[in-house]
Amino acid sequence: MVRYLITRLGQALVVVVLVTVIAFLILHLLPGGAARATLGKEATLEQLAAFNHDMGYDRPWFQQYVMYVQRLLHGDLGYSYQLNQSVVEAISQRLPKTMVLSLLSTLLAIVLAIPLGVIQAVRRNRWPDYAITSLSLLAYATPIFFMGLMMIILFSQVWPVLPPEAPQGFTVAEVLADPAGLVLPTVTLAIVTIAVYSRYVRSTMVDNLNENYVRTARSKGLSERRVVLRHTLRNGLFPVITLLGMYLPALFSGALVVESLFNFPGMGQLFWQAALKRDFPILLGVTVIISIATVVGALLADLLYAAVDPRVRLRGSAS
Amino acid sequence: MSESTVRHEPAAGEPAVVQPLLELRDLDTDIALRRGTVHALDGVSFEVMPGETLGIVGESGSGKTMTALSIMGLLPHGGRVTGGQILFEGRDLRSLPADEVRRIRGVRMGMVFQDPLTSLNPTMRIGVQVAEPLRVHQGVGRAEARERAIDILRRVGMPRPDRIVDNYPHELSGGMRQRVAIAMALVCSPRLLIADEPTTALDVTTQRQILELIDDLREEFGMAVILVTHDLGVIAGRADRVAVMYAGRVVETAATATLFRTPRHRYTEALMEALPESAIREGGENARLYSIPGLPPDLSRPLTGCRFAPRCRHVTDECRTTDVALSAGSHQYACLHPVPAASAAPVALPAPVRVEATPEPAQPTAAPDEPAGTPVLSVRSLVKNYAAHGRGVLRRGAGQVSAVADVSFDVGPGETFGLVGESGCGKSTVGRLAVGLERPTAGQILVDGTDLASLTGRERRRMHRQVQLMFQDSYAAMNPRMRVDAILAEPLEIQKVGDGAARRARVASLLDQVGLSRRVLERYPHEFSGGQLQRIGLARSLALQPRLIVGDEPVSALDVSIQAQVLNLMRDLQRELGLAYVFISHDLSVVDYMADRIGVMYLGKLVEVGPARDVVRAARHPYTQALIDAVPSVTPSAATARDGVTIRGELPSALNPPTGCRFRTRCPLAQEICETEPPLAGDRHQVACHFPLRPESSGTPVEAGTAA
Repeated sequence: MVRYLITRLGQALVVVVLVTVIAFLILHLLPGGAARATLGKEATLEQLAAFNHDMGYDRPWFQQYVMYVQRLLHGDLGYSYQLNQSVVEAISQRLPKTMVLSLLSTLLAIVLAIPLGVIQAVRRNRWPDYAITSLSLLAYATPIFFMGLMMIILFSQVWPVLPPEAPQGFTVAEVLADPAGLVLPTVTLAIVTIAVYSRYVRSTMVDNLNENYVRTARSKGLSERRVVLRHTLRNGLFPVITLLGMYLPALFSGALVVESLFNFPGMGQLFWQAALKRDFPILLGVTVIISIATVVGALLADLLYAAVDPRVRLRGSAS
Repeated sequence: MSESTVRHEPAAGEPAVVQPLLELRDLDTDIALRRGTVHALDGVSFEVMPGETLGIVGESGSGKTMTALSIMGLLPHGGRVTGGQILFEGRDLRSLPADEVRRIRGVRMGMVFQDPLTSLNPTMRIGVQVAEPLRVHQGVGRAEARERAIDILRRVGMPRPDRIVDNYPHELSGGMRQRVAIAMALVCSPRLLIADEPTTALDVTTQRQILELIDDLREEFGMAVILVTHDLGVIAGRADRVAVMYAGRVVETAATATLFRTPRHRYTEALMEALPESAIREGGENARLYSIPGLPPDLSRPLTGCRFAPRCRHVTDECRTTDVALSAGSHQYACLHPVPAASAAPVALPAPVRVEATPEPAQPTAAPDEPAGTPVLSVRSLVKNYAAHGRGVLRRGAGQVSAVADVSFDVGPGETFGLVGESGCGKSTVGRLAVGLERPTAGQILVDGTDLASLTGRERRRMHRQVQLMFQDSYAAMNPRMRVDAILAEPLEIQKVGDGAARRARVASLLDQVGLSRRVLERYPHEFSGGQLQRIGLARSLALQPRLIVGDEPVSALDVSIQAQVLNLMRDLQRELGLAYVFISHDLSVVDYMADRIGVMYLGKLVEVGPARDVVRAARHPYTQALIDAVPSVTPSAATARDGVTIRGELPSALNPPTGCRFRTRCPLAQEICETEPPLAGDRHQVACHFPLRPESSGTPVEAGTAA
């Protein structure tokens, strides 16, 4: 187990290093450059050169990369001149808020998607299945900005019960103090996720209900409820674990469209604005954070898998 | 859930019950599929008396499993009992409320399924699964349920049941899992146990243990058993009465001995004649098998008359129009032209077998015992180890699995070399090594006297033309998106043989050889039946005109009647083309029929090699003898009176195989000396054993062996 963890962490490190190299290269090969973006159109060539020299941007890229990594190891993700704050600070302001939104919507999605998927599987090819399938496909096919707009129109214009804007609070506590404002962004974000998850749960549950072990369970004279809940559900939820692991980076990156639509100052908005303004330190910082989250998410999914499925043995080597 | 009302323990003083425990009356079952409704059962009727074992035998699609599932109310999605009655202890299960039926199913009946590897919940502990019916139906507490689970596991012969209860299914072998399944079915002491192909997925030695266990438990629990199987041999040894099913109907029922001695229905008769065992008994290995032509009818179409009529030798016009009911009496059959009762042989054998005349003098191209000239295939001290490793990136070796350990044999031109052994013995690995799919760890493979290892690239590829492989599951071995013409032409294209026109001509002639119409060229693999797929598979392996075909369980997935067709075809082609075969199978009777010489493998070692007849009828290695004894025979006397070498327990792990003789851990004759490895010794009939059961016979093979 420990050995497995060490192996996996080693792998994770390799992935993260590769991601930083690739992100670094791409960002530095882009035309334009940080100096012009930072100093503005009025800056002279001398000023640009001086800025580049100060920042080390005139050195070969691999030297810059080494410097970057050195700072990274000290927890320094750089400084954004455009925001006039350090990258760590910018991210740490927005990350918790994004996580609140993502966690709430994921939770909502899981709580609704699992029962929906189970109902579909149990009543497969009958009307409840068809109805839920149609709705899922509709939700899945609707662009999220359109869905968000419809939500705003419906619930804050036609029937004004909810605010159209997400909470604007600076801290998580302030955000949570305005639960009404969180409803629309959370629900919008959850709808698509519910569609995806319930399809997943349905198909794995259908597969599992056709398994021989379910027939064995029925042969014991168990009630259908017990067959589904005690025997099938656990095995049917394994793929959802993988799905959740893959979803972890989304918790960090935030839902770009939804954050913009509801004007929620989270990670998605940060990234989007940084991209428009060529704010390299922010872009790089966010990329690194997300890549770490991706790797950790996959690792967590594997560990969770091992915890619930006795057949999975975690070993770095056999012992 | 409260104590069930139907649970009344069989008290000692209860008067003897004369009425049947289970009675099916005119049961009809339909399965609704997308392509239409399959009438899986049509008017099935039979009785099971308390304490009796009823065998239901039939080929795939005959409805035997659907009968079992209908009784248990476990029909698959779309399945429905549409007519008739299921009387269990006098009450019709179809008219009882659903809750009541569930309780009966859980307490008064038990069922064991075919595939023990998938029949248990992978994420539930053994003890929880076994005790679940107690908890649900009898409200037994957690602690007591556990104790009773341990108790029942002990009674099904599970070693260390107090540990096993906390294990998960994947930690047990197939045979052990089947014991768990049996324990689970028996935990509420049912009156009826339904076993659906309970041993089909298991090796013969394990099969024997499980069948004996079911027999013992039947007596101990005083319950009735319905044993559903395709294997006539399994039925012959275990059932009191037999019902033969064909195309959704019971066509014949009788007491087991009567049925096997004097089958009356023409289908039953044909089925018995199609067994390799019958052909050998009647005409020696060179006799042709009787094969039932054609395929069973499509049950989604309306059928009139006798359903076997289109495949029957004795068919008349009347058969096609008249629906024959089962005759009355204790031996019932539904046949207008039954086997005459008088022709029954007074011996414990199936009805006289009309062995078809062999088209040509049955002279194999090479004398069986002395392969002439250079061997087509020569295997020298072959070793194959697989590294056992973890799943991490570093994949550090964690020991080696010794799959093949020092195996040597020759296959002469036109000869059939049979390779038998239980799963995991390495026989398939030898096959894969021989055709070059894998490289040996050590040892040599000579094709026509040339060492494969000495060749490279093109030459090696050319040499591989000489040796081709035929698979067990031809469907899985064909690209489902390729048509038959493309499948058959592919080997020719890869080896750049001829031009397009020449290849097309070759493909057409291949189809002629395997007896398929040229119209099949434009069809896809899923459009064929199992037997037809094996023919296409055989055609593909013949495409490059090899001198040797390695058949890895080529008929194991087929029904008896279809198996006979494929075996006959393989023999015909051998005669025509002078082919040699390496015939790999777990089925000793098939290998006995096909092979000139047999090699027996155990845990990567060849333990016995010799002429087929000698090996099967005068085995020298205790393992071979145990294997032979474990094979169920259709001769009931042979099946019941057996006290040869019995082996217990399970195959040891090939990760750390026993030192010396690898069989010694299970061998009844094992002594200290067996810790040193016995060499494969002997002249024509070699054995690797310190205590061979008998000396090598000189000259003529032993006729009256211990196998019968």
